[in-house]
Amino acid sequence: MAHDWQPDFEQLVDEHQSMVFSLAWRMTGDRGLAEEIAQDVFLELDRHLGRMESAAHTCNWLRRVAMNRSTDALRRRRVRGLDLWVEMDERHGMRVEPNASPLGTRLEHLLTTLPEAQRATLVLRYQEDMLPEEIAALLETPVATVKSQLQRGLKLLRAKATCQLKEFIRNREQASGI
Amino acid sequence: MEFEPLNDFESEFEQELRQALERRPAPPSLKGKILARRRGARLGRRTVLWQRLAASLVLAAVLGGAAEWQQHVREERRKGEEARQQVMIALRITGHALEKMNQQLAAHDRAQE
Repeated sequence: MAHDWQPDFEQLVDEHQSMVFSLAWRMTGDRGLAEEIAQDVFLELDRHLGRMESAAHTCNWLRRVAMNRSTDALRRRRVRGLDLWVEMDERHGMRVEPNASPLGTRLEHLLTTLPEAQRATLVLRYQEDMLPEEIAALLETPVATVKSQLQRGLKLLRAKATCQLKEFIRNREQASGI
Repeated sequence: MEFEPLNDFESEFEQELRQALERRPAPPSLKGKILARRRGARLGRRTVLWQRLAASLVLAAVLGGAAEWQQHVREERRKGEEARQQVMIALRITGHALEKMNQQLAAHDRAQE
């Protein structure tokens, strides 16, 4: 290796498996597929371990590869958002975290119904806490495009959440005979 | 386009989204699966490496044998050429000797006449 950093593979797995898994899951909405993608990402890391220069470089590399593989998987499967949401509820056991708010759980579901590009920028911004400039570098997209995708994605997500909430309230009112 | 919350509600929504998108813990079995596949992949790569090494050795042996054969053929050709030269020399000597004998016989015949 041309640099001093000596990465330990198992340690990297321990440190980053949740990040990689979460990225893949939030992009694909499919828990099983996310597991497969996570495995593939780490196997690719093993093949390129000698090229990792630092902990930060490795983290960024993992994010990029996880996003690319998730995008590839989505293209192969041609998943449609609404169908995916139904799948998640019925088959893939979208687990409700014990401390998650109802809105939070719904937001997570609704995220998978967004266009891929908006979904990617939102996940990197709000899960990984990356700045728009960092997202742009990772996705190899202009910063202005990233900011636009973030704004549009937030707007659409909020609209969908509001629409669902209204429907939920209406259904509750109808059920209780109001 | 500046990236800033549009208003307080947007900011609250973003906070809600951030909380919703906290990293999910990886399945407990994930690490084991990764390490198992890694072992399998490395074994596969080692097998391919040995196969390539064996193929290289066979190729080297074949090429070495071919080179030796070519050398043998060259040597045989050289020997053949040498033998040919010797035959030509012998024929020339014989030719000279025959000519000399003819000349001597012709002289003897003239002397007798």
